[in-house]
Amino acid sequence: MKFTARQPGINVNVSPTHPLKEFAILAGGLLAIVVGVYLALGLAVDLIVPRLSMDLEKKLAGAFVGRLVENEDVADTTQSLQSLVDRLQDRCAPLPYSITVHVTEADAVNAAALPGGHMVVFTGLLAEMTSENELAFVLAHELGHFANRDHLRGLGRALVLMTASTLLLGADNSINSMIGQGLVLTELSFSRKQETQADEFALETLFCHYGHVADATSFFSKIPEDGDPGRFGHYFASHPENRRRIGHLEDLAQKRGYPTGHPLPLPVDLAADKNPP
Amino acid sequence: MIDLIIFLSLLALGYGAGTWAEKRHYRSITERENATVNLPVVTLKSVDIPEHKIRSARLVYGSAVISVDYFKRILASLRNVFGGKVKSYESLLDRARREALLRMKEMAGNATVIVNVRIETSAIGKQSRRKNIGCLEAMAYGTALTVEE
Repeated sequence: MKFTARQPGINVNVSPTHPLKEFAILAGGLLAIVVGVYLALGLAVDLIVPRLSMDLEKKLAGAFVGRLVENEDVADTTQSLQSLVDRLQDRCAPLPYSITVHVTEADAVNAAALPGGHMVVFTGLLAEMTSENELAFVLAHELGHFANRDHLRGLGRALVLMTASTLLLGADNSINSMIGQGLVLTELSFSRKQETQADEFALETLFCHYGHVADATSFFSKIPEDGDPGRFGHYFASHPENRRRIGHLEDLAQKRGYPTGHPLPLPVDLAADKNPP
Repeated sequence: MIDLIIFLSLLALGYGAGTWAEKRHYRSITERENATVNLPVVTLKSVDIPEHKIRSARLVYGSAVISVDYFKRILASLRNVFGGKVKSYESLLDRARREALLRMKEMAGNATVIVNVRIETSAIGKQSRRKNIGCLEAMAYGTALTVEE
């Protein structure tokens, strides 16, 4: 038999799998694991947080809110808001917290509940206010977040996210710097349910304090449709969402028979700030 | 964000350029393998040819260095997490070995047979800490015999 040299025709040393397919499976799997761990840790944080003591919370909060400094320019406003919060808390919203109000000069129409009982209110929000009741609703909404300890859940998830992103991307990545801005961190992770609960809490507080719920929803409806909602503004995150929240509050007020009365004017200090001489 | 964009661009570039280079290389390999199919390359240490008929016997060798592209490296590092066959490196080794054999054949010229052929592989740039160059070299060597007709 004569030997004829020829090529084997097949290549047994290279797997025929398409590299993109392999990449999709591996990268997808890794991503799924990371997301799974994040969700599991988030869930664990949810379970632990309600059992966290106030002392521990204050200590933890130090790292995040340590840089909140008092601004002399808005001292009067801060005092006025503080007294309003104290009055709300005193009679109608007994929380195991001593709430400290900070006024920050920024255009954002927003307020935030930070760990350790710190409430940050932006001047952009105050500029939109027309009555004390409206302001009280917003403040009571934040008190609602404190009451449900939502701000801590946000913190815990942010910590988990920060740890994960540091492990994956190194210490100086964009996710960390975003979380590091502090105020963002609680806003980022308030869920729809948490907002609704805080709304309900605010409505009850408003009724308890004033005996009626005038101007409870006026804040939502006042935000212009084309207004910049800010990046994580949770009062007007999305317009359909706001309509849902207004609807929910009105339903609740009707169901419980909360009357609508006459709103009180803004405290003098705030009104003065709005219309500088 | 910038980091992510750079990463994805490199990934796309690595995939595009790597696939193109690989296809071109395989075409060239197949072509040259077909052209040199009549030069036997064997691992036997000796062949049954009377000594007086052997006109020359000399060392021939060929070596090829092939680099990993960015996409393949990322794919292999993902494999490092999960384990399993590192399929993305298989074609690199295959190409390097076949290219080395072809170069060895080229060096042998019009020899009758190449005996005692061995192939060796080594990684290049593995030790240079952070700047991992990530290439591999395959070297094929053997003894080319030219036999009188």
